[in-house]
Amino acid sequence: MRAVSRRAGRDGAAGFRLPPYGGWGIAFVLPAFLLLVVFRIYPILSAVAVSFTNYDLFSTPRFTGLDNYVYLATDPQFHQSLLASITYVAGVSIPTLVISLALALAFNERVPFRNLLRTGAFMPVVMTAVPVAVVWKFLFHPFGLVNVFLSKFGIDRINWLTDQSTAMPALIVVGIWRAVPYFMVIFLAGLQAIPKDYYEAASLDGASAVGRFRHITLPLLQRTTVLVIIMTVIIAMKAIMNPLIMTGGGPAGVTRVLPLLIYQTGFQYYRMGLASAMSVVMLLMVLVFTMWQLRLFRG
Amino acid sequence: MLAKLRREWPLPRVYATVLVVVFTGFAVVPLAWMLSSSIKNQADVFQLPIRWVPPKPAWFTYVEALGRYNFARYISNSLFVSAAITAISVLFSSLAGYGLAKYRFPGRDLLFLLVLATMMLPLEVILVPMFLITKQLRWLNTYQGLIVPMAVEAFGIFLMRQYVLGIPDTLIEAARIDGASEIAIFARVILPLCRPVLATLAIFSFRESWDLFMWPLIILTKDNLKTLPLGIALFENAYQSAYNELMAVAAVSLIPVTLLFFLFQRAFVQGIALTGLKE
Repeated sequence: MRAVSRRAGRDGAAGFRLPPYGGWGIAFVLPAFLLLVVFRIYPILSAVAVSFTNYDLFSTPRFTGLDNYVYLATDPQFHQSLLASITYVAGVSIPTLVISLALALAFNERVPFRNLLRTGAFMPVVMTAVPVAVVWKFLFHPFGLVNVFLSKFGIDRINWLTDQSTAMPALIVVGIWRAVPYFMVIFLAGLQAIPKDYYEAASLDGASAVGRFRHITLPLLQRTTVLVIIMTVIIAMKAIMNPLIMTGGGPAGVTRVLPLLIYQTGFQYYRMGLASAMSVVMLLMVLVFTMWQLRLFRG
Repeated sequence: MLAKLRREWPLPRVYATVLVVVFTGFAVVPLAWMLSSSIKNQADVFQLPIRWVPPKPAWFTYVEALGRYNFARYISNSLFVSAAITAISVLFSSLAGYGLAKYRFPGRDLLFLLVLATMMLPLEVILVPMFLITKQLRWLNTYQGLIVPMAVEAFGIFLMRQYVLGIPDTLIEAARIDGASEIAIFARVILPLCRPVLATLAIFSFRESWDLFMWPLIILTKDNLKTLPLGIALFENAYQSAYNELMAVAAVSLIPVTLLFFLFQRAFVQGIALTGLKE
């Protein structure tokens, strides 16, 4: 600490003056920013650098220019994975947005046993990710609870996680189950920030419930909604646990989402350059989507 | 009678109740099924008709399951690693948040921009380079490798900065006039005022670190360093059909976060609601 303030004094003598106590400010932010730079910022830049090489972790990296990207452009496995990710992201984020908003609105009504029910609805967030994957794998077992429940409606047994047409929907259900309570809480916080007088005034003016929702709730929730859209998409985009544990990316690769493919390419096949190129593509996708959303709603 | 019912239960309230009850059922059934299966014998796990509470609970499942692997070790590793990550990240975030909010120095705004830029960054995207750096530091298969790279949370810095901004400067100036050192001001003036947000941050951070899976998975090969989530995945792989024991292990792993939730419900939920501040 003392070294910092002494150096600040010397800089001052050279014509550059730190604001009073500025050295302390730097000292306070230093530990966190050291970690942030070493383990977040530098890795992003490093991912870009490694993506131009061929690197198997054991021999020295070999510069290969754009080869990895050219390879990805025509790699059917990468394309399948992109499609899987897009399906998963759309499948999770759109229903999550609708259901979590609806639930937040519902919990804002005078529902009986509200606190108890809200605690119950919140349980998926309290459960951590690995137990979630393990429990749902068990629920989707051919003899599991899901099929037992569906058999009451005369639906025959489905091999959820090993059938190409049902594996992805099963994963999407789990994704929604986990995400909805989280965003419900965010929406509830947004709803509670809307002053009650607005609704009372609108009611006095004879606005219907639908009208109040469209003209007060929705516009005032816009910031929250944009944020929820961005966050659901990013959370769904980076989901890896459920595919890894429940399906292993199968059957026939239909659930091999991008993070899973990156993990397998990097840490099972040791193709660090190729995995980095995929990471860069994914990073760009996240970035472009976020920018687009922010711009769409700013304008 | 009917009129009274109609007044008590207007349509929006009816819809709201139905929706809330249906979703809550959907939300808790997996949890209930996990607990129910964890006290069944292996042969009864798929038995029909379903018995949610088995007539003779097989509590022994827990003893058997936890005895199978080095679970005592995995649990203590998880507790230690999560506590360390939480402690470091809360301390560093509050220091940095205070520094960004209450001091002026060149580059401050740039640093804050870095915080905002990395807040939404999915770690999964930089797993490869983070692994490479950790390997260069010779931190693979070490506790510091598990802890240090995960002990920085841009969201934490952001949250603390926003909170400290609301603390009036006059408090800090008064302490300075009284001759308090800058560190004393941070420790005795700022931190006590930040207690609610510190609790929120600590719970949030503990929950995230208790949940870590990919990072330990890629940097650990030594069994005696493995954390609980890895242990569960290992178990799942090896004993595909021992569903009762698997559910018991899963249930045990839920205890710390569930405990935190029920003890500090407000701060817990607040932590999530506050992520809605990001923009």
